[in-house]
Amino acid sequence: MPLLELKDVSLDYGPIRAVDRASISVEPGEVVAIIGGNGAGKSTLLKGVSGLLTPSEGSILFDGQDISRLPPHQRVARGIAMSPEGRQVFPDQTVHDNLVLGAYARGLSDKALTAAIDEQFDLFPRLRERRDQPAVTLSGGEQQMLAMARALMASPRLLLLDEPSLGLAPLIVRDIFQIIRSLRERQITILLVEQMATMALKAAHRAYVLETGRITLTGTGAELLNDPKVRAAYLGVAHDAA
Amino acid sequence: MSATYLQALLSGLSVGGIYALIALSFSITFTTTKTLNFSQGEFVSFGAFVGLSVLLLLSGTFDFNAVPADASAGLKFPAAVVTAGVLVGVVGIFIFLLAVRPFAGKPGMSWVMSTIGFGIILQSLGLVVWGPAVVNVPAPFGEGVIRIFGAGVRSQELVVLVSAIVIMLVFDQIMRRSLLGKAMRAVAFSPQVASLMGINVTLVMVGAFVMSGVLAGFAGVMVAPISTASLFMGLGFSLKAFAGAIIGGLNNPRGCIFGGFMLGVIESFVGLWHSEWREISVFVLIILVLAVRPDGLFGARTVDKV
Repeated sequence: MPLLELKDVSLDYGPIRAVDRASISVEPGEVVAIIGGNGAGKSTLLKGVSGLLTPSEGSILFDGQDISRLPPHQRVARGIAMSPEGRQVFPDQTVHDNLVLGAYARGLSDKALTAAIDEQFDLFPRLRERRDQPAVTLSGGEQQMLAMARALMASPRLLLLDEPSLGLAPLIVRDIFQIIRSLRERQITILLVEQMATMALKAAHRAYVLETGRITLTGTGAELLNDPKVRAAYLGVAHDAA
Repeated sequence: MSATYLQALLSGLSVGGIYALIALSFSITFTTTKTLNFSQGEFVSFGAFVGLSVLLLLSGTFDFNAVPADASAGLKFPAAVVTAGVLVGVVGIFIFLLAVRPFAGKPGMSWVMSTIGFGIILQSLGLVVWGPAVVNVPAPFGEGVIRIFGAGVRSQELVVLVSAIVIMLVFDQIMRRSLLGKAMRAVAFSPQVASLMGINVTLVMVGAFVMSGVLAGFAGVMVAPISTASLFMGLGFSLKAFAGAIIGGLNNPRGCIFGGFMLGVIESFVGLWHSEWREISVFVLIILVLAVRPDGLFGARTVDKV
């Protein structure tokens, strides 16, 4: 049984349909990428999964149960955590306190909380150095790491990553994807939305292509990397040789 | 001469402490829900009368025209403060559910009218129960004047000043250290992102209105022995407090506290010179501050997020 299953899900912003009857599934331990151009509806789709947007049609099943109508905080309690688009770390709070908030739903003891934070510091050593700094003082890459670490603090069964490369320098993007690959090795289930299609397809087991709100193509990461249509539309010839 | 100034400073800080408490109560709901409770003044009056009722009941009477001189003695005053805080806190739940939640986060400013309306209802109910009388409330430590370096200060002014500072220090620590405080600050930054942490945002907003109500209720009881109690007392205090909050920066709790104290002291010093210039000076100051810094002295720049 898939961990996450979207069945003909439509998502609207008022009268505007952003995602149109999309069906996707994510198996436990899988990394699934959603690629597509600007405004294709990728982030909207993730908002539907996290509960920030309620579907107007279709259903979202998590672990076989319909979660379509649950508010975000109840979905977090069931094991869905998200690193949102644009990072959205709490700017006036320290790195440490951002991580504490990530574990809000778990009600950990002080000791368990410290251990969980240490675990994130091992994964993101840069954050350990910045422990007591307000998040606003971090660089873009560090903020992205913090947003991911904060989501991991929820000990999620499904991690949603919304455009982790957005606005970051190429070297930093490489670091971020290195981390995503290490999460993949640790069997963490990830649904990844990304404009950097090559990176995303290399990191993912499977992927979906989203075009103007519709799923138009699906396959393994390798299949899509070699698909002529995908190459032309999203990968760009110039980057191909790399 | 310096004793006069010291006296003005201490009285100013004392009433400024009340402004600061109420300013903080505005700030709490503003940061978490982006709405203001425009019936905060009625909350203050309501708190004063709940407290007064407790004082009378504990003294074995309910006659507002003959408040016993020892009505505030011993533990009666603390009991009145706690009861007023709790009851006005509960009223905070109601105003959130009935007058704020249906409109918060939606376009338009319906919550302005709905919170004003809630305050009018609260005041009318108060008039039914307590009547329009102005009541002298005895101070817990008596009406005597205490001399500090020659300056004469009423005991209740010191009580108000000390307890306002203690309450605000406790509040500051809660916001900075406790998980609840971190969650409230997270909601203040973005309710959506806070909900992604598993925070029940509605519950935090209810909590903000409770805290805001508790502070207003406290302020009402504490100030009653200085100002006398009436169901109309709250409006003036809340207007000044709101001014203090605007000067300090509505979205910065510490700024609001500073603004409240500053207003109290300025008012007090201008009053030494010409009392009729008090209100003028206060509102001229607000206009000047806002002209230079639209978000208040310590307010964070409001940036619209996409």
